[in-house]
Amino acid sequence: MMLERGLTWFLRIYIGVIFLFIFTPIAFSIVFSFNSQRFPTVPLGEFSTQWYDTVLADPDVWQAALTSIIVSVCASAIATLLGFCTAYSDYRYSFRFKGAYLALILLPPTIPLIIMALAMLAWFSKIGASGQVWSIIVAHSVLTAPFAMAIIRLRLNQMDENLEAAAWNLGASEWSAMRHVVLPFCKPAIVSAACLCAAVSFDEFAIAWFVSGLNKTVPVMILEIVTGNIDPRVNAIGSFVFVTSMTLVVVAQIFFSTKQIRKSAGETG
Amino acid sequence: MIDQLLVFDKVVKRFGDFTAVKEMNLSIGKGEFVAIMGPSGCGKTTTLRMLAGLEQPTRGEIRLDGRVMNDVRPHERDTPMVWQSLALFPFLTARKNVEFGLRMRGMDATKRRDKALLWLDRLGMSEFAERDISTLSGGQKQRVALARSLVTEPPILLLDEPLSALDAHLVIRMQSVLTNLQRELGITFVYVTHSQSEAFAMADRVVIMSQGEVAQVGEPKDIYRAPANRFVAEFVGRNNIISGKVKSQSKGKVVIDAPSGTFSVAATKSAVPKTGDDATFVISADLVKLSVTKPKSENMIPATLISEEFIGSVVTLFLESADGQEFKVQVQERELATLDLKSTKTFYLSWPASSAHLLTGA
Amino acid sequence: MNKPARKRFDAYAMTWRLPIIVWQLLFFVGPLLFMLAMSFFVVKNYRMVEAFDTASWVKMLGRGYFWDSYFLTLWLATLATACAMVIAFPAAYALAFKVSDNARRWAIFLLIIPFFTSYLVRIFSWYVILAETGVVNSILAYVGLGPYTMLNTKFGTIVGYLTLTLPLVVILQTFAMANIDTRLVEAAHNLGCKPFATVYRVVIPLAKTGLIIAALFCFILSFGDFVSPYYLGGSKPPTLPILIIDTTKSGQQWPRAAVVAIMMMVTLFAVAFAAIAAAYAKKGKS
Repeated sequence: MMLERGLTWFLRIYIGVIFLFIFTPIAFSIVFSFNSQRFPTVPLGEFSTQWYDTVLADPDVWQAALTSIIVSVCASAIATLLGFCTAYSDYRYSFRFKGAYLALILLPPTIPLIIMALAMLAWFSKIGASGQVWSIIVAHSVLTAPFAMAIIRLRLNQMDENLEAAAWNLGASEWSAMRHVVLPFCKPAIVSAACLCAAVSFDEFAIAWFVSGLNKTVPVMILEIVTGNIDPRVNAIGSFVFVTSMTLVVVAQIFFSTKQIRKSAGETG
Repeated sequence: MIDQLLVFDKVVKRFGDFTAVKEMNLSIGKGEFVAIMGPSGCGKTTTLRMLAGLEQPTRGEIRLDGRVMNDVRPHERDTPMVWQSLALFPFLTARKNVEFGLRMRGMDATKRRDKALLWLDRLGMSEFAERDISTLSGGQKQRVALARSLVTEPPILLLDEPLSALDAHLVIRMQSVLTNLQRELGITFVYVTHSQSEAFAMADRVVIMSQGEVAQVGEPKDIYRAPANRFVAEFVGRNNIISGKVKSQSKGKVVIDAPSGTFSVAATKSAVPKTGDDATFVISADLVKLSVTKPKSENMIPATLISEEFIGSVVTLFLESADGQEFKVQVQERELATLDLKSTKTFYLSWPASSAHLLTGA
Repeated sequence: MNKPARKRFDAYAMTWRLPIIVWQLLFFVGPLLFMLAMSFFVVKNYRMVEAFDTASWVKMLGRGYFWDSYFLTLWLATLATACAMVIAFPAAYALAFKVSDNARRWAIFLLIIPFFTSYLVRIFSWYVILAETGVVNSILAYVGLGPYTMLNTKFGTIVGYLTLTLPLVVILQTFAMANIDTRLVEAAHNLGCKPFATVYRVVIPLAKTGLIIAALFCFILSFGDFVSPYYLGGSKPPTLPILIIDTTKSGQQWPRAAVVAIMMMVTLFAVAFAAIAAAYAKKGKS
């Protein structure tokens, strides 16, 4: 039917428009980071790497980048560890108040970041940790742990229900089975979770802004620059941030979807 | 007298309010191939899991070689299991899978490797040793699972419906692999299955379970010919079960009045019913003689043909007597030629009293 | 589940179970509870003093500008949710039914990327794109239109909210619709239901739960976001999140900020509760 085909094409173009809306700002930022104009608009100016040069020469930017990296790495390590513990506990055991237990780890993303930022600021101030790097690390670990837990839990679902028992049956203690069977099995999910948590942490600015004080992460730096005037350096910094986060998310997705082992016992042959 | 390797002494297993295994008393000897068989939910898998240490008996003792095993953790036992889902480690090669048990025991790498390769070779899997598990077929995975369990040379091997996921032609092949292996190694096999044909084909002794209780234990042919009760008779299949009331008894024979007719059954030492009692007897499908003319026999029923089932060289015929009871008769395919199935209206089923078996239980 | 012989205290199980409890109590529940308590503190001489005083509550909830901000935020979040749900729907419908499985997987893969990254960068790009002398107005100038003021308006805020939520809404709607029983849709077609009517009468009701969840997340994100109203909306009049920032950063009135935060949370709980109840409500046969 003509109507049917016309509709399908319209819908496909529509999807294209949506993607355009979503990705234009990103493309824009990258394109104009190489543009010589101070104020990005059409017609385009000349190709120039001056903004990158300025940014890379700025010691504050390097400091912020270092802080961002330290925070991301540490926060994602903690979050992945916590996510694994919780995912495994959920997978293997049933116990009283399990619902509350799961809610405890899964609720943070449902609370607006600005509220968490305020609460963390107040709390860390009270215990004298405000403005220190480890407070951002802790805050980000709380924020990203649910993602790690979800990813690892989904992976555990794919594990043969008897795999751990098979290990015990062959002489492995619970700890040994964890080391030799469960962890190797979960490895792709653990990598995926770590990458995703790092990406979220790297990009997170609200909590970092509130809590970091003088220890700025890169997103916080971006926030501060632009609260002033339009500054084309933002595009250059933004492009770095975007490329880093995007790479991490892509890697996370790749690890998440590889090595899907089917649980079926036997096939023909 | 076979050495008793494994003893279940008054073992009971409850999960909350549900009793999975009611008091079980069972002995299994060294080198025996025992099949535990029954419908889903009968308690056979729970029994196996208690052997492996994955469940603890609620009451009673399980003794392996005289040692009480109730509190022994699974990894401290030497009761390797071949799982229904195989549970091979997907991130290891076939050889590394087989090495696992040895590695857990602290054997060094070279010795492990050699032993693993030895066992893979024994099961015809040498060329697949370095392959990824996911590249193997169902039958090949099965063999790796077997090698993995046997490499530690245990006194006993547990098998949980290992052939249930395989294609029919593979099942037959694997059955002979298992039987030969067991005979060669001389170790005890405890094999759980819901398939009567598997159990009867491979086992020295069969334990039939129903709803947590042991319905009968014995050699396959004994169970087939002399089922202990109605449940076993029905479960084993391919027989005819007739119920009625005892009319009289004399000279080692019991005469029973049933809706399909009056029958003589040989009395057994254990079953001595009184006149007027309810009684049930069983006559195997392959012991019923089919003829187109009325035979002279103490047990005879006229019946009409309902349907036929070809299973290769053996054919099962389903007939119905005047009172509506269904009868199964097994004949060899070549005998069919002598019977004119199409035009004969009434067939005659007959058998001697000694072929039938009186049921003792309900 | 496999339960081997267990000692009375299972050190193994506890090693895995306890860490998250301790960590979250210390760093998630703790801060939130402290914030609740903090709403009752007082500020004397620019310093916060622990007390139990409802002054902040009275001041905030008694002020016109708080309630203006409250209803503005509510309105903008609702509007954004409505826009996002409507705009995403055709795309999600197409992804669920009109493209190959592979194409759908790629689309989700691509959509996940912006959802987890670069919200800030994208908002700043929009700031520049929508400016008076920005790309949009320059292009419109060629055609003789404009210039239009798009920044410092509610329009700007909504564009920002959509940037934040659209990827997620498309993903969630796609999952919601892709997982319905397509046989029911076919049955409807067989019974003569016209294509557009099928969408309205069959697809949407079947995907109801997933669609409501998508709307709920969209609302929560928009309601709690400060970047869009701050940078694209001109921050005046302020939305609740901006109020929190103002009272915290400039005003140093943390107790009042806490009051705003708590009011936001209560509202969100109420909305979430209502949404989940609606999502899982069993409808009678219509």
